[in-house]
Amino acid sequence: MPTSAPEPLLEVAGLSAGYGKIVVLRDVALTVGAGEAVALLGPNGAGKTTLLRAVSGLLPRTGQVKFAGRDMAGAGPGDTVRAGLVHVVEGHRVFTQLSVFDNLLLAGYGLPRPELTRQVEEALAFFPEIAAKRNDRAVTLSGGQQQMLAVAQGLVRRPKLLMLDEPSAGLSPVLVDRVLAAMVRLREAGTAILLVEQLIEKALAASDRVYALARGSIVLQARTDEADLPNRLEHAYFGQDVSAPLAS
Amino acid sequence: MDVSLGLLTNAVISGLLLGGFYAAVSIGVAISFGMLDIVNIAHPAFILLGSYVAFIGNSVFGIDPILAAVIALPAFYLLGMAAYQVYYVAFERRDDQSLRGLSFFFGILFIVEVGLILIFGVDYTSVQAWYGGGNLSLGFIELPWRLLVPFLLGMAMVAGLQVFLSRTFIGRAIQAVAQDQQALRLMAANPTRIKRIAFGLSFATAALAGAAMIIIQPVEPSIGREYIGRIFAICVLGGLGSFPGMVIAAVTLGIVESLTSTFFGPSWAPAVAFGVLLLTLAVRPSGILGR
Repeated sequence: MPTSAPEPLLEVAGLSAGYGKIVVLRDVALTVGAGEAVALLGPNGAGKTTLLRAVSGLLPRTGQVKFAGRDMAGAGPGDTVRAGLVHVVEGHRVFTQLSVFDNLLLAGYGLPRPELTRQVEEALAFFPEIAAKRNDRAVTLSGGQQQMLAVAQGLVRRPKLLMLDEPSAGLSPVLVDRVLAAMVRLREAGTAILLVEQLIEKALAASDRVYALARGSIVLQARTDEADLPNRLEHAYFGQDVSAPLAS
Repeated sequence: MDVSLGLLTNAVISGLLLGGFYAAVSIGVAISFGMLDIVNIAHPAFILLGSYVAFIGNSVFGIDPILAAVIALPAFYLLGMAAYQVYYVAFERRDDQSLRGLSFFFGILFIVEVGLILIFGVDYTSVQAWYGGGNLSLGFIELPWRLLVPFLLGMAMVAGLQVFLSRTFIGRAIQAVAQDQQALRLMAANPTRIKRIAFGLSFATAALAGAAMIIIQPVEPSIGREYIGRIFAICVLGGLGSFPGMVIAAVTLGIVESLTSTFFGPSWAPAVAFGVLLLTLAVRPSGILGR
Protein backbone atom coordinates (compact mmCIF):
# COMPACT_ATOMS: atom_id res chain seq x y z
CA MET A 1 0.00 0.00 0.00
CA PRO A 2 1.49 3.37 -0.97
CA THR A 3 2.60 5.41 2.02
CA SER A 4 0.77 8.46 0.76
CA ALA A 5 -2.65 6.77 0.96
CA PRO A 6 -4.85 8.41 3.61
CA GLU A 7 -5.63 6.31 6.66
CA PRO A 8 -9.05 4.70 6.32
CA LEU A 9 -11.87 5.99 8.51
CA LEU A 10 -12.82 2.52 9.71
CA GLU A 11 -10.28 -0.24 9.94
CA VAL A 12 -11.30 -3.70 11.06
CA ALA A 13 -8.68 -6.45 11.40
CA GLY A 14 -8.80 -10.00 12.70
CA LEU A 15 -12.38 -9.59 13.96
CA SER A 16 -14.09 -12.63 15.42
CA ALA A 17 -17.49 -12.58 17.07
CA GLY A 18 -20.44 -14.79 17.79
CA TYR A 19 -23.28 -15.59 20.14
CA GLY A 20 -22.10 -17.59 23.12
CA LYS A 21 -20.55 -20.78 21.84
CA ILE A 22 -21.58 -20.15 18.24
CA VAL A 23 -18.75 -18.44 16.40
CA VAL A 24 -20.16 -16.50 13.48
CA LEU A 25 -17.31 -14.32 12.26
CA ARG A 26 -13.78 -15.54 11.80
CA ASP A 27 -10.88 -13.21 11.33
CA VAL A 28 -12.73 -10.56 9.31
CA ALA A 29 -10.86 -7.56 7.90
CA LEU A 30 -12.31 -4.58 6.06
CA THR A 31 -11.82 -0.86 5.67
CA VAL A 32 -14.03 2.09 4.84
CA GLY A 33 -12.45 5.35 3.73
CA ALA A 34 -13.77 8.78 4.59
CA GLY A 35 -16.65 9.75 2.30
CA GLU A 36 -16.71 6.30 0.72
CA ALA A 37 -19.74 4.10 0.18
CA VAL A 38 -18.94 0.43 0.76
CA ALA A 39 -21.40 -2.40 0.24
CA LEU A 40 -21.27 -5.57 2.33
CA LEU A 41 -23.03 -8.39 0.53
CA GLY A 42 -23.50 -12.03 1.28
CA PRO A 43 -26.02 -14.84 1.57
CA ASN A 44 -28.30 -15.20 4.58
CA GLY A 45 -26.52 -16.37 7.68
CA ALA A 46 -23.13 -15.15 6.46
CA GLY A 47 -22.73 -12.88 9.46
CA LYS A 48 -23.33 -9.41 7.99
CA THR A 49 -25.59 -8.21 10.81
CA THR A 50 -23.27 -9.81 13.35
CA LEU A 51 -20.40 -7.88 11.83
CA LEU A 52 -22.18 -4.55 12.19
CA ARG A 53 -23.18 -5.40 15.76
CA ALA A 54 -19.63 -6.35 16.65
CA VAL A 55 -18.25 -3.13 15.17
CA SER A 56 -20.79 -0.91 16.93
CA GLY A 57 -20.16 -2.60 20.27
CA LEU A 58 -23.46 -4.40 20.78
CA LEU A 59 -21.64 -7.75 20.74
CA PRO A 60 -18.37 -8.70 22.38
CA ARG A 61 -15.58 -9.22 19.86
CA THR A 62 -11.93 -10.10 19.53
CA GLY A 63 -9.71 -8.41 17.02
CA GLN A 64 -9.01 -4.82 16.24
CA VAL A 65 -11.38 -2.00 15.33
CA LYS A 66 -9.96 1.43 14.65
CA PHE A 67 -12.21 4.38 13.88
CA ALA A 68 -10.94 7.83 12.89
CA GLY A 69 -7.53 6.83 14.12
CA ARG A 70 -8.80 5.79 17.54
CA ASP A 71 -8.62 2.27 18.89
CA MET A 72 -12.16 1.23 19.81
CA ALA A 73 -11.18 -1.66 22.06
CA GLY A 74 -13.71 -2.03 24.87
CA ALA A 75 -15.97 0.70 23.47
CA GLY A 76 -19.68 0.12 23.94
CA PRO A 77 -22.45 1.37 21.68
CA GLY A 78 -22.56 4.72 23.44
CA ASP A 79 -18.87 5.43 22.95
CA THR A 80 -19.03 4.29 19.34
CA VAL A 81 -21.92 6.63 18.59
CA ARG A 82 -20.21 9.54 20.27
CA ALA A 83 -17.09 8.88 18.18
CA GLY A 84 -19.14 9.36 15.01
CA LEU A 85 -19.88 5.76 14.02
CA VAL A 86 -23.64 5.21 13.88
CA HIS A 87 -25.40 1.89 13.36
CA VAL A 88 -28.94 1.83 11.99
CA VAL A 89 -30.39 -1.61 12.73
CA GLU A 90 -32.50 -3.66 10.36
CA GLY A 91 -36.27 -3.70 10.37
CA HIS A 92 -36.96 0.05 10.52
CA ARG A 93 -37.52 -0.13 14.26
CA VAL A 94 -38.59 3.23 15.55
CA PHE A 95 -40.36 4.15 18.79
CA THR A 96 -43.90 3.73 17.55
CA GLN A 97 -45.64 5.50 20.41
CA LEU A 98 -43.57 8.66 20.10
CA SER A 99 -43.89 11.34 17.43
CA VAL A 100 -41.41 11.61 14.58
CA PHE A 101 -39.87 14.66 16.21
CA ASP A 102 -39.57 12.93 19.58
CA ASN A 103 -37.95 9.94 17.93
CA LEU A 104 -35.31 12.24 16.49
CA LEU A 105 -34.83 14.08 19.76
CA LEU A 106 -34.22 10.77 21.49
CA ALA A 107 -31.67 9.81 18.87
CA GLY A 108 -29.59 12.72 20.07
CA TYR A 109 -29.69 11.61 23.70
CA GLY A 110 -27.17 13.54 25.72
CA LEU A 111 -26.54 16.33 23.25
CA PRO A 112 -27.07 19.91 24.51
CA ARG A 113 -30.51 21.17 23.52
CA PRO A 114 -29.75 23.97 21.01
CA GLU A 115 -27.27 21.79 19.13
CA LEU A 116 -29.74 18.92 19.22
CA THR A 117 -32.62 20.89 17.71
CA ARG A 118 -30.40 22.17 14.94
CA GLN A 119 -29.15 18.70 14.07
CA VAL A 120 -32.66 17.27 14.18
CA GLU A 121 -33.77 19.93 11.69
CA GLU A 122 -30.82 19.06 9.44
CA ALA A 123 -31.73 15.41 9.56
CA LEU A 124 -35.34 16.23 8.71
CA ALA A 125 -34.22 18.40 5.80
CA PHE A 126 -32.81 15.26 4.25
CA PHE A 127 -36.19 13.55 4.33
CA PRO A 128 -38.87 16.11 3.47
CA GLU A 129 -41.48 13.40 3.35
CA ILE A 130 -41.27 12.70 7.04
CA ALA A 131 -40.53 16.32 7.91
CA ALA A 132 -44.12 17.00 6.92
CA LYS A 133 -45.23 14.43 9.52
CA ARG A 134 -43.07 15.59 12.35
CA ASN A 135 -45.80 15.63 14.97
CA ASP A 136 -47.43 12.36 13.96
CA ARG A 137 -46.81 9.24 15.98
CA ALA A 138 -44.31 6.97 14.31
CA VAL A 139 -46.80 4.12 14.20
CA THR A 140 -48.82 6.05 11.56
CA LEU A 141 -45.91 6.12 9.11
CA SER A 142 -45.64 3.66 6.26
CA GLY A 143 -42.80 1.12 6.23
CA GLY A 144 -40.71 3.22 3.90
CA GLN A 145 -41.24 6.34 5.96
CA GLN A 146 -40.31 4.47 9.13
CA GLN A 147 -37.11 3.36 7.42
CA MET A 148 -36.35 6.94 6.48
CA LEU A 149 -37.04 7.94 10.08
CA ALA A 150 -34.63 5.25 11.28
CA VAL A 151 -31.93 6.61 8.95
CA ALA A 152 -32.75 10.17 10.01
CA GLN A 153 -32.26 9.08 13.62
CA GLY A 154 -28.79 7.96 12.64
CA LEU A 155 -28.12 11.33 11.04
CA VAL A 156 -28.92 13.37 14.13
CA ARG A 157 -25.46 12.60 15.44
CA ARG A 158 -23.81 13.91 12.26
CA PRO A 159 -21.92 10.63 11.87
CA LYS A 160 -18.68 10.31 9.98
CA LEU A 161 -19.68 6.76 9.07
CA LEU A 162 -23.21 5.45 8.88
CA MET A 163 -23.74 1.69 8.95
CA LEU A 164 -27.06 0.67 7.40
CA ASP A 165 -28.36 -2.84 7.95
CA GLU A 166 -30.63 -3.91 5.09
CA PRO A 167 -32.51 -0.63 4.70
CA SER A 168 -34.51 -2.17 1.86
CA ALA A 169 -35.93 -5.01 3.95
CA GLY A 170 -39.70 -5.18 3.69
CA LEU A 171 -40.01 -2.20 1.36
CA SER A 172 -41.51 -1.99 -2.11
CA PRO A 173 -39.11 -1.27 -4.99
CA VAL A 174 -40.15 2.38 -5.27
CA LEU A 175 -39.44 2.99 -1.61
CA VAL A 176 -36.16 1.12 -1.80
CA ASP A 177 -35.04 3.46 -4.57
CA ARG A 178 -36.03 6.45 -2.48
CA VAL A 179 -34.13 5.27 0.56
CA LEU A 180 -31.06 4.43 -1.49
CA ALA A 181 -31.24 7.79 -3.26
CA ALA A 182 -31.21 9.48 0.13
CA MET A 183 -28.17 7.39 0.97
CA VAL A 184 -26.38 8.59 -2.17
CA ARG A 185 -27.16 12.22 -1.26
CA LEU A 186 -25.69 11.56 2.17
CA ARG A 187 -22.55 10.17 0.64
CA GLU A 188 -22.26 13.22 -1.59
CA ALA A 189 -22.54 15.40 1.47
CA GLY A 190 -19.48 13.67 2.91
CA THR A 191 -20.78 10.89 5.16
CA ALA A 192 -19.14 7.51 4.66
CA ILE A 193 -21.56 4.62 4.34
CA LEU A 194 -21.25 0.90 5.08
CA LEU A 195 -24.30 -0.69 3.49
CA VAL A 196 -25.40 -4.23 4.21
CA GLU A 197 -27.84 -5.31 1.54
CA GLN A 198 -29.53 -8.24 -0.12
CA LEU A 199 -30.36 -6.37 -3.32
CA ILE A 200 -27.07 -6.80 -5.11
CA GLU A 201 -27.58 -4.61 -8.19
CA LYS A 202 -28.97 -1.65 -6.31
CA ALA A 203 -26.28 -1.87 -3.66
CA LEU A 204 -23.51 -2.01 -6.27
CA ALA A 205 -25.00 0.94 -8.14
CA ALA A 206 -24.87 3.07 -4.99
CA SER A 207 -21.40 2.07 -3.76
CA ASP A 208 -17.73 2.60 -4.53
CA ARG A 209 -16.42 -0.70 -3.24
CA VAL A 210 -17.87 -4.03 -2.24
CA TYR A 211 -17.02 -6.84 0.17
CA ALA A 212 -18.68 -10.24 0.06
CA LEU A 213 -19.07 -12.15 3.31
CA ALA A 214 -19.80 -15.86 3.30
CA ARG A 215 -19.83 -18.28 6.25
CA GLY A 216 -18.16 -15.77 8.48
CA SER A 217 -15.22 -14.71 6.32
CA ILE A 218 -14.58 -12.12 3.64
CA VAL A 219 -14.42 -13.96 0.34
CA LEU A 220 -14.34 -11.09 -2.13
CA GLN A 221 -13.19 -7.53 -2.15
CA ALA A 222 -13.40 -5.28 -5.18
CA ARG A 223 -14.21 -1.85 -6.57
CA THR A 224 -17.70 -1.69 -8.03
CA ASP A 225 -16.43 -0.52 -11.39
CA GLU A 226 -14.36 -3.65 -11.90
CA ALA A 227 -15.24 -5.97 -14.74
CA ASP A 228 -17.02 -9.28 -14.29
CA LEU A 229 -18.19 -8.41 -10.80
CA PRO A 230 -21.58 -10.19 -10.91
CA ASN A 231 -19.91 -13.45 -11.88
CA ARG A 232 -17.30 -13.18 -9.20
CA LEU A 233 -19.99 -12.43 -6.64
CA GLU A 234 -21.91 -15.49 -7.74
CA HIS A 235 -18.85 -17.61 -7.18
CA ALA A 236 -18.33 -16.05 -3.79
CA TYR A 237 -21.92 -16.66 -2.74
CA PHE A 238 -22.21 -20.20 -3.91
CA GLY A 239 -19.12 -21.69 -2.43
CA GLN A 240 -16.29 -21.31 -4.84
CA ASP A 241 -14.22 -19.27 -2.45
CA VAL A 242 -11.73 -16.86 -3.93
CA SER A 243 -9.44 -16.59 -0.95
CA ALA A 244 -10.61 -18.47 2.15
CA PRO A 245 -10.45 -22.29 2.47
CA LEU A 246 -13.56 -24.18 3.51
CA ALA A 247 -14.25 -23.65 7.22
CA SER A 248 -12.73 -26.36 9.40
CA MET B 1 -87.62 5.99 45.83
CA ASP B 2 -86.21 9.36 46.79
CA VAL B 3 -83.99 7.83 49.45
CA SER B 4 -82.72 5.28 46.96
CA LEU B 5 -81.77 7.92 44.41
CA GLY B 6 -79.92 9.93 47.01
CA LEU B 7 -78.15 6.80 48.16
CA LEU B 8 -77.25 5.94 44.59
CA THR B 9 -75.94 9.42 43.85
CA ASN B 10 -73.83 9.41 46.98
CA ALA B 11 -72.48 5.97 46.21
CA VAL B 12 -71.50 7.03 42.71
CA ILE B 13 -69.87 10.23 43.90
CA SER B 14 -68.00 8.48 46.68
CA GLY B 15 -66.93 5.91 44.14
CA LEU B 16 -65.68 8.62 41.81
CA LEU B 17 -63.63 10.25 44.54
CA LEU B 18 -62.40 6.87 45.69
CA GLY B 19 -61.37 6.22 42.11
CA GLY B 20 -59.13 9.26 42.20
CA PHE B 21 -57.48 7.86 45.28
CA TYR B 22 -57.11 4.48 43.60
CA ALA B 23 -55.37 6.24 40.71
CA ALA B 24 -52.85 7.71 43.16
CA VAL B 25 -52.24 4.30 44.61
CA SER B 26 -51.88 2.58 41.24
CA ILE B 27 -49.79 5.02 39.28
CA GLY B 28 -46.56 3.68 40.76
CA VAL B 29 -47.37 0.22 39.47
CA ALA B 30 -48.54 1.68 36.15
CA ILE B 31 -44.95 2.83 35.77
CA SER B 32 -43.09 -0.18 37.17
CA PHE B 33 -45.35 -2.90 35.77
CA GLY B 34 -46.97 -1.11 32.87
CA MET B 35 -43.83 0.44 31.43
CA LEU B 36 -40.84 -1.39 32.86
CA ASP B 37 -42.36 -4.89 33.11
CA ILE B 38 -41.25 -5.19 36.73
CA VAL B 39 -43.82 -6.91 38.91
CA ASN B 40 -43.36 -4.79 42.01
CA ILE B 41 -45.85 -6.52 44.23
CA ALA B 42 -44.33 -4.74 47.22
CA HIS B 43 -45.68 -1.37 46.12
CA PRO B 44 -48.56 -1.38 48.66
CA ALA B 45 -46.07 -1.95 51.47
CA PHE B 46 -44.24 1.20 50.45
CA ILE B 47 -47.50 3.07 50.27
CA LEU B 48 -48.03 2.04 53.89
CA LEU B 49 -44.53 3.24 54.63
CA GLY B 50 -45.54 6.56 53.13
CA SER B 51 -48.62 6.59 55.34
CA TYR B 52 -46.52 6.11 58.43
CA VAL B 53 -44.07 8.78 57.34
CA ALA B 54 -47.01 11.14 56.95
CA PHE B 55 -48.23 10.06 60.38
CA ILE B 56 -44.88 10.80 62.00
CA GLY B 57 -44.68 14.17 60.28
CA ASN B 58 -48.16 14.95 61.49
CA SER B 59 -48.06 13.66 65.06
CA VAL B 60 -44.46 14.45 65.97
CA PHE B 61 -43.83 17.60 63.95
CA GLY B 62 -47.36 18.80 63.53
CA ILE B 63 -47.07 19.29 59.79
CA ASP B 64 -49.69 18.52 57.21
CA PRO B 65 -49.51 14.83 56.13
CA ILE B 66 -49.27 15.66 52.43
CA LEU B 67 -46.47 18.10 53.14
CA ALA B 68 -44.69 15.41 55.14
CA ALA B 69 -44.94 13.07 52.17
CA VAL B 70 -43.57 15.75 49.83
CA ILE B 71 -40.62 16.24 52.15
CA ALA B 72 -40.02 12.49 52.12
CA LEU B 73 -40.19 12.32 48.29
CA PRO B 74 -36.43 12.44 47.63
CA ALA B 75 -35.81 9.66 50.15
CA PHE B 76 -38.42 7.45 48.50
CA TYR B 77 -36.97 8.24 45.08
CA LEU B 78 -33.49 7.19 46.18
CA LEU B 79 -34.89 4.08 47.81
CA GLY B 80 -36.56 3.18 44.54
CA MET B 81 -33.34 3.65 42.62
CA ALA B 82 -31.49 1.45 45.10
CA ALA B 83 -34.19 -1.22 44.92
CA TYR B 84 -33.99 -1.26 41.12
CA GLN B 85 -30.23 -1.53 41.20
CA VAL B 86 -30.45 -4.61 43.42
CA TYR B 87 -33.19 -6.09 41.23
CA TYR B 88 -31.19 -5.43 38.09
CA VAL B 89 -27.92 -6.87 39.33
CA ALA B 90 -29.55 -9.90 40.92
CA PHE B 91 -32.22 -10.78 38.38
CA GLU B 92 -32.74 -8.68 35.29
CA ARG B 93 -29.20 -8.91 34.08
CA ARG B 94 -29.40 -12.68 34.07
CA ASP B 95 -32.87 -12.73 32.58
CA ASP B 96 -34.12 -14.37 35.76
CA GLN B 97 -36.68 -11.78 36.51
CA SER B 98 -40.03 -13.42 36.01
CA LEU B 99 -40.14 -15.83 38.91
CA ARG B 100 -37.23 -14.86 41.09
CA GLY B 101 -37.85 -11.15 40.71
CA LEU B 102 -41.42 -11.70 41.85
CA SER B 103 -40.25 -13.68 44.88
CA PHE B 104 -37.80 -10.88 45.60
CA PHE B 105 -40.57 -8.30 45.76
CA PHE B 106 -42.80 -10.62 47.75
CA GLY B 107 -40.00 -10.90 50.26
CA ILE B 108 -39.67 -7.13 50.42
CA LEU B 109 -43.41 -6.82 50.92
CA PHE B 110 -43.26 -8.98 54.02
CA ILE B 111 -40.10 -7.41 55.36
CA VAL B 112 -41.55 -3.92 55.12
CA GLU B 113 -44.90 -4.98 56.55
CA VAL B 114 -43.36 -6.78 59.51
CA GLY B 115 -40.95 -3.90 60.03
CA LEU B 116 -43.88 -1.52 60.28
CA ILE B 117 -45.68 -3.85 62.70
CA LEU B 118 -42.63 -4.03 64.92
CA ILE B 119 -42.19 -0.28 64.97
CA PHE B 120 -45.77 0.93 65.04
CA GLY B 121 -47.77 -2.00 66.31
CA VAL B 122 -50.96 -3.43 64.87
CA ASP B 123 -53.34 -0.75 66.08
CA TYR B 124 -54.94 1.61 63.63
CA THR B 125 -53.24 4.98 63.24
CA SER B 126 -54.63 8.14 61.75
CA VAL B 127 -53.76 11.76 61.17
CA GLN B 128 -55.24 15.09 62.17
CA ALA B 129 -55.73 17.53 59.34
CA TRP B 130 -58.17 20.35 58.68
CA TYR B 131 -59.77 18.30 55.98
CA GLY B 132 -60.18 15.23 58.16
CA GLY B 133 -63.88 15.67 58.62
CA GLY B 134 -66.70 17.61 57.16
CA ASN B 135 -68.07 17.94 53.67
CA LEU B 136 -67.92 20.34 50.81
CA SER B 137 -71.50 21.08 49.87
CA LEU B 138 -72.28 21.65 46.22
CA GLY B 139 -76.03 22.03 46.05
CA PHE B 140 -77.50 18.69 47.07
CA ILE B 141 -74.17 16.88 46.62
CA GLU B 142 -72.00 16.35 49.65
CA LEU B 143 -68.31 15.78 48.95
CA PRO B 144 -66.48 14.52 52.01
CA TRP B 145 -63.18 16.35 52.36
CA ARG B 146 -61.42 13.19 53.41
CA LEU B 147 -62.28 11.72 50.01
CA LEU B 148 -61.98 14.90 47.98
CA VAL B 149 -58.43 15.78 48.99
CA PRO B 150 -56.98 12.36 48.07
CA PHE B 151 -58.94 12.52 44.80
CA LEU B 152 -57.38 15.86 43.94
CA LEU B 153 -53.97 14.61 44.97
CA GLY B 154 -54.38 11.56 42.75
CA MET B 155 -55.44 13.62 39.76
CA ALA B 156 -52.53 16.01 40.30
CA MET B 157 -50.08 13.12 40.44
CA VAL B 158 -51.37 11.56 37.24
CA ALA B 159 -51.41 14.88 35.41
CA GLY B 160 -47.94 15.76 36.63
CA LEU B 161 -46.46 12.43 35.58
CA GLN B 162 -48.20 12.50 32.22
CA VAL B 163 -46.71 15.92 31.50
CA PHE B 164 -43.32 14.71 32.66
CA LEU B 165 -43.45 11.66 30.40
CA SER B 166 -44.52 13.52 27.30
CA ARG B 167 -42.61 16.75 27.59
CA THR B 168 -39.24 15.96 29.12
CA PHE B 169 -36.33 14.15 27.58
CA ILE B 170 -36.11 11.55 30.32
CA GLY B 171 -39.85 11.07 30.14
CA ARG B 172 -39.65 10.22 26.45
CA ALA B 173 -36.72 7.96 27.10
CA ILE B 174 -38.79 6.11 29.71
CA GLN B 175 -41.55 5.59 27.17
CA ALA B 176 -38.98 4.34 24.69
CA VAL B 177 -37.16 1.99 27.02
CA ALA B 178 -40.30 -0.09 27.37
CA GLN B 179 -40.29 -0.64 23.64
CA ASP B 180 -36.78 -1.10 22.34
CA GLN B 181 -33.76 -1.13 24.59
CA GLN B 182 -31.27 -2.05 21.90
CA ALA B 183 -32.22 0.96 19.82
CA LEU B 184 -31.69 3.17 22.85
CA ARG B 185 -28.23 1.74 23.40
CA LEU B 186 -27.39 2.66 19.82
CA MET B 187 -28.43 6.21 20.63
CA ALA B 188 -25.83 6.48 23.37
CA ALA B 189 -28.53 6.21 26.02
CA ASN B 190 -28.18 3.86 28.97
CA PRO B 191 -31.39 1.85 29.37
CA THR B 192 -30.43 0.72 32.86
CA ARG B 193 -30.03 4.29 34.04
CA ILE B 194 -33.37 5.25 32.51
CA LYS B 195 -35.16 2.35 34.15
CA ARG B 196 -33.56 3.21 37.46
CA ILE B 197 -34.93 6.74 37.29
CA ALA B 198 -38.37 5.46 36.35
CA PHE B 199 -38.41 2.99 39.22
CA GLY B 200 -37.32 5.75 41.58
CA LEU B 201 -40.30 7.79 40.39
CA SER B 202 -42.57 4.82 40.97
CA PHE B 203 -41.45 4.66 44.61
CA ALA B 204 -41.81 8.41 45.00
CA THR B 205 -45.48 8.14 44.08
CA ALA B 206 -45.87 5.67 46.95
CA ALA B 207 -45.01 8.42 49.42
CA LEU B 208 -47.82 10.67 48.20
CA ALA B 209 -50.22 7.76 47.84
CA GLY B 210 -49.47 6.85 51.44
CA ALA B 211 -50.39 10.32 52.60
CA ALA B 212 -53.63 10.05 50.65
CA MET B 213 -54.36 6.68 52.23
CA ILE B 214 -53.97 7.80 55.80
CA ILE B 215 -56.25 10.73 55.10
CA ILE B 216 -58.99 8.53 53.74
CA GLN B 217 -58.89 5.89 56.45
CA PRO B 218 -56.96 4.91 59.55
CA VAL B 219 -54.17 2.54 58.58
CA GLU B 220 -52.42 -0.45 60.02
CA PRO B 221 -49.58 -2.33 58.37
CA SER B 222 -51.45 -5.27 56.88
CA ILE B 223 -54.03 -3.33 54.89
CA GLY B 224 -51.48 -3.13 52.09
CA ARG B 225 -52.52 -6.63 51.12
CA GLU B 226 -56.04 -5.48 50.29
CA TYR B 227 -54.55 -3.19 47.70
CA ILE B 228 -52.43 -5.69 45.80
CA GLY B 229 -55.47 -7.07 44.01
CA ARG B 230 -56.96 -3.63 43.42
CA ILE B 231 -53.79 -2.11 42.03
CA PHE B 232 -53.04 -4.86 39.57
CA ALA B 233 -56.70 -5.11 38.57
CA ILE B 234 -56.68 -1.40 37.79
CA CYS B 235 -53.44 -1.55 35.81
CA VAL B 236 -54.58 -4.53 33.77
CA LEU B 237 -58.09 -3.14 33.20
CA GLY B 238 -56.72 0.22 32.13
CA GLY B 239 -54.17 -1.28 29.80
CA LEU B 240 -50.47 -1.49 30.55
CA GLY B 241 -48.62 1.63 29.53
CA SER B 242 -51.60 3.97 29.42
CA PHE B 243 -52.16 6.55 32.16
CA PRO B 244 -55.57 7.70 30.90
CA GLY B 245 -56.65 4.07 30.76
CA MET B 246 -55.46 3.56 34.31
CA VAL B 247 -57.46 6.55 35.52
CA ILE B 248 -60.60 5.33 33.78
CA ALA B 249 -60.08 1.90 35.30
CA ALA B 250 -59.45 3.36 38.76
CA VAL B 251 -62.63 5.42 38.65
CA THR B 252 -64.63 2.50 37.28
CA LEU B 253 -63.40 0.22 40.02
CA GLY B 254 -64.07 2.89 42.63
CA ILE B 255 -67.64 3.34 41.49
CA VAL B 256 -68.38 -0.38 41.18
CA GLU B 257 -66.88 -1.05 44.60
CA SER B 258 -68.83 1.80 46.11
CA LEU B 259 -72.12 0.62 44.61
CA THR B 260 -71.43 -2.95 45.72
CA SER B 261 -70.56 -1.74 49.18
CA THR B 262 -73.69 0.40 49.46
CA PHE B 263 -76.22 -2.06 48.10
CA PHE B 264 -74.73 -5.45 48.92
CA GLY B 265 -72.57 -4.81 51.93
CA PRO B 266 -68.97 -3.71 52.48
CA SER B 267 -67.58 -7.21 52.81
CA TRP B 268 -68.16 -7.75 49.09
CA ALA B 269 -65.87 -4.91 48.10
CA PRO B 270 -62.58 -6.85 47.83
CA ALA B 271 -64.26 -9.41 45.60
CA VAL B 272 -65.03 -6.68 43.10
CA ALA B 273 -61.39 -6.06 42.29
CA PHE B 274 -60.58 -9.68 41.63
CA GLY B 275 -63.83 -10.16 39.75
CA VAL B 276 -62.93 -7.24 37.52
CA LEU B 277 -59.45 -8.67 37.00
CA LEU B 278 -60.78 -12.06 35.97
CA LEU B 279 -63.35 -10.50 33.67
CA THR B 280 -60.76 -8.30 31.97
CA LEU B 281 -58.34 -11.14 31.41
CA ALA B 282 -61.11 -13.25 29.94
CA VAL B 283 -62.74 -10.68 27.71
CA ARG B 284 -60.16 -8.02 26.81
CA PRO B 285 -56.70 -8.80 28.15
CA SER B 286 -55.12 -5.73 26.62
CA GLY B 287 -57.29 -3.53 28.80
CA ILE B 288 -59.37 -0.48 27.96
CA LEU B 289 -56.65 1.63 26.38
CA GLY B 290 -53.83 -0.85 26.29
CA ARG B 291 -51.26 -0.88 23.52
